Amino acid sequence: MPGDHRRIRGPEESQPPQLYATGEGEAPAPRDPARLRPVYARAGLLSQAKGSAYLEAGGTKVLCAVSGPRPAEGGERGGGPAGAGGEAPAALRGRLLCDFRRAPFSGRRRRAPPGGGEERELALALQEALEPAVRLGRYPRAQLEVSALLLEDGGSALAAALTAAALALADAGVEMYDLVVGCGLSRALAPAPTWLLDPTLLEEERAAAGLTVALMPVLNQVAGLLGSGEGGPTESWAEAVRLGLEGCQRLYPVLQQCLVRAARRRGAAAPL
Amino acid sequence: MAAGFKTVEPLEYYRRFLKENCRPDGRELGEFRTTTVNVGSIGTADGSSLVKLGNTTVICGIKAEFGAPPTDAPDKGYVVPNVDLSPLCSWRFRSGPPGEEAQVASQFIADVIENSQIINKEDLCISSGKLAWVLYCDLICLNHDGNILDACTFALLAALKNVQLPEVTINEETALAEVNLKKKSYLNIRTHPVATSFAVFDDTLLIVDPTEEEEHLATGTLTVVMDEEGRLCCLHKPGGSGLTGSKLQDCMSRAVTRHREVKQLMDEVFKSMKPK
Repeated sequence: MPGDHRRIRGPEESQPPQLYATGEGEAPAPRDPARLRPVYARAGLLSQAKGSAYLEAGGTKVLCAVSGPRPAEGGERGGGPAGAGGEAPAALRGRLLCDFRRAPFSGRRRRAPPGGGEERELALALQEALEPAVRLGRYPRAQLEVSALLLEDGGSALAAALTAAALALADAGVEMYDLVVGCGLSRALAPAPTWLLDPTLLEEERAAAGLTVALMPVLNQVAGLLGSGEGGPTESWAEAVRLGLEGCQRLYPVLQQCLVRAARRRGAAAPL
Repeated sequence: MAAGFKTVEPLEYYRRFLKENCRPDGRELGEFRTTTVNVGSIGTADGSSLVKLGNTTVICGIKAEFGAPPTDAPDKGYVVPNVDLSPLCSWRFRSGPPGEEAQVASQFIADVIENSQIINKEDLCISSGKLAWVLYCDLICLNHDGNILDACTFALLAALKNVQLPEVTINEETALAEVNLKKKSYLNIRTHPVATSFAVFDDTLLIVDPTEEEEHLATGTLTVVMDEEGRLCCLHKPGGSGLTGSKLQDCMSRAVTRHREVKQLMDEVFKSMKPK
């Protein structure tokens, strides 16, 4: 970047070799629309973070770390009527600061470090989906920082980040009402507009529309929903949401296992 | 009780261990933490590696792109390193533009690349003055438990050895590049620089591979970069307490031994990947 004196300078601009490649691109293989890719989840792997989680689903690799609670920056806010269960009044509740970053080498094209609008939008989506699950009233005047890093994008990145963030919060011992599980969907183009669960990168790139749902499995409440693309009949979108919620429920036992293992590991390491 | 003493008087706590010539995690003064390396895990990157030095974890991803060669060196390509220290790796860092430690680390890696001649920049040139490869080396620290520089250098080396560049030919008629993604070849790595970091305690004692706590308590740090022929590529000593010439010699000999350990590890890893 021309004015950025904080980083080592490269050339003014560069192009990916894929632009000049000979040969055609691949087409996504046909598959069962409701298949979920096998997921590998592990919590409690970073020693310096309060809580952390790593999630791998197909080619998508996400790492998430949670730090805090720390005294909130920003001015004092006034009191008000106290919430139920000994929680702080609404204006003094804790805050959740989410940060979503893509590693520069995570996509087909290199993205220079200052992310831009898309990362901020996804960070906001993360925050909105995680807030209903976290008991922020128990952390008055404090802030919890959640940082998600996408190491490799293989499709459904936001969904994977949501799940990893919820696991990291649980691993950090933050009080939560429930976990949040995310699931991505995409609708293929015109000739066969079926909704595909957990799309790969290829399917996402060639999609007409995409959707990410976040579900709190035990409470069976939707925590977040982010969709974009071409419009369609409402039944089609309702069907997609139903498919997504079903996918989230199917994913839940894996995450439970992961947290139990992490807790056992912590218990075994604790007496030292 | 020990934990309480450690919080109140960390330096005294440390001195008690150093008097017995060992450290709280059981290591000797000249012993490195367990080093592990994993190569080629990121599919979207042209070359990648993940290095763990005890708890310190650094991932390096290299993306190769086309760019115009610099005007003052028309037959050279670019190698652009970037070290990223984010709130993910430690609560000390803030999100946003690179802070001081990240900038220092990026510049250190750039110096190592330049001074050790790890790859020949002329190899990266495709067409003199018009087209060259630009290798963006992005090092992201996932967990900061001290000794970032060693981990970053090792990660960079392993990732560069893993990079595969597609074949490029310039079509004479259209003067455009044609890339054959199916035919890839490895880079020619000329030297293998390995960094060894030391922390200086109380102006006299040198310990190898400091953890984050040790870095905070140290009165100075020193990083020595050696290549396989025992040549010194780079010496990084950002202020701190002074060192006598003989101590510096000891550091350099320790760095030579470390180079052998790291080279052996890397050879094992790359040999195990051959049958691909």
